[in-house]
Amino acid sequence: MNCIEVGRLLNAYVDAELALERSLAVEDHVADCARCRAALDGQGALHSALARSCAPERAPDRLRTWVRRVARDTPATKPVRRSKLDWLAAAPGIAALLIVGALLIARPWQPGATAAPEGTRVVYHIASANDIGANLRTLKNHLDAEPRSQVVVVAHNNGIEFLLQGARDESGRAYAEIVRGFRERGVDFRVCTNTLTRRQIDPGTVIREAALVPSGIAEISRLQGKEGYVYLRL
Amino acid sequence: MLSDHEREQFERLLLPHLDAAYGLARWLTRNDEWAEDAVQEAYLRALRYFGSLRGDDGRPWLLGIVRNACFDLLDREHPGSQTEPFDEERHADANMAAGALLVLPVNPEAAAIGRAERQLVRDCLAELPRDFREAIVLRELQGCSYRDIAEITGVPIGTVMSRLARARRLLQGTISQRVKEDTGT
Repeated sequence: MNCIEVGRLLNAYVDAELALERSLAVEDHVADCARCRAALDGQGALHSALARSCAPERAPDRLRTWVRRVARDTPATKPVRRSKLDWLAAAPGIAALLIVGALLIARPWQPGATAAPEGTRVVYHIASANDIGANLRTLKNHLDAEPRSQVVVVAHNNGIEFLLQGARDESGRAYAEIVRGFRERGVDFRVCTNTLTRRQIDPGTVIREAALVPSGIAEISRLQGKEGYVYLRL
Repeated sequence: MLSDHEREQFERLLLPHLDAAYGLARWLTRNDEWAEDAVQEAYLRALRYFGSLRGDDGRPWLLGIVRNACFDLLDREHPGSQTEPFDEERHADANMAAGALLVLPVNPEAAAIGRAERQLVRDCLAELPRDFREAIVLRELQGCSYRDIAEITGVPIGTVMSRLARARRLLQGTISQRVKEDTGT
């Protein structure tokens, strides 16, 4: 092994991510090469400098209390701003009320159990970047005609593009804003993580209005097979 | 809504990683308050999508959600906080071997590692561009494997390796440079 190869593997060696054989080869080389040994020592020095300088973090107690309570007692709801957290930790009863209140405010339009019968469940499958505008108009017309429909949009392949940050329609309007409008009407948007991985797209660039699912196709199958959704391909 | 069994699972698999979640969020947002907001948002998302967690290791899954929540929060509420003037020419020694000779700690008389020096290391890490900072924090501070880092950050293992190598080089360069400036040598 020469210096260039060792240089390439040095990080993986330090991180114990190399197979035994290659580790031994790196060690052999480093034993005889002052330059590579210096590089290795540098890595060690950095590691210990970081270990000495950055003590493990500990989450504040109020955050711990909040997370525990959310896990145990409450349905998923909107986050509470930090400024309110001290308060929440101090007053559990009020906390529960506030969280339930936040839920009600977040979804004022949702029909309760005694409301009219549920609308049809429909899953829209968007797999192409073409005609997104027309497809969303179709969705809007659908909701106008049947406001109680429960719609999930699963985006997959090139169909995910309008759900990435910064995407805009022909008129320059941000898709995030349009999607937010649909979210308020109860439509869920789900993005296929397999597609992101395959296309090397950072999941962090998906707009926050959309959720990630491991596989778009599996999600569609699940909705159809287990939850009685009608399938519409756009 | 989760069933009782799922709630138990949620507590068992995700609550123990709260400190790790908060630590990552602090380094990514560089702000205590934003870090708390992001961790709350992340746990709510985790509750909502708990069904998509596969297997028994909740840590990489949770940390992946935490980093997304951090970046969402920064983009949405604090745009501009991510613009990082970082002069690689100045910070990184072009030569790997030269950059690798970290000057810390040089002087035994400098009474062990002082508080100022620890602060210097933290400042240099905080100044690294986002992707590099994330790589160092996950590997060096959180002890994640390359495979976990790939899952958390959503990039292939090859990218994890090159990012980490570059991040270390940059950080070593920055620290060395800063120590030189401070000691006037």
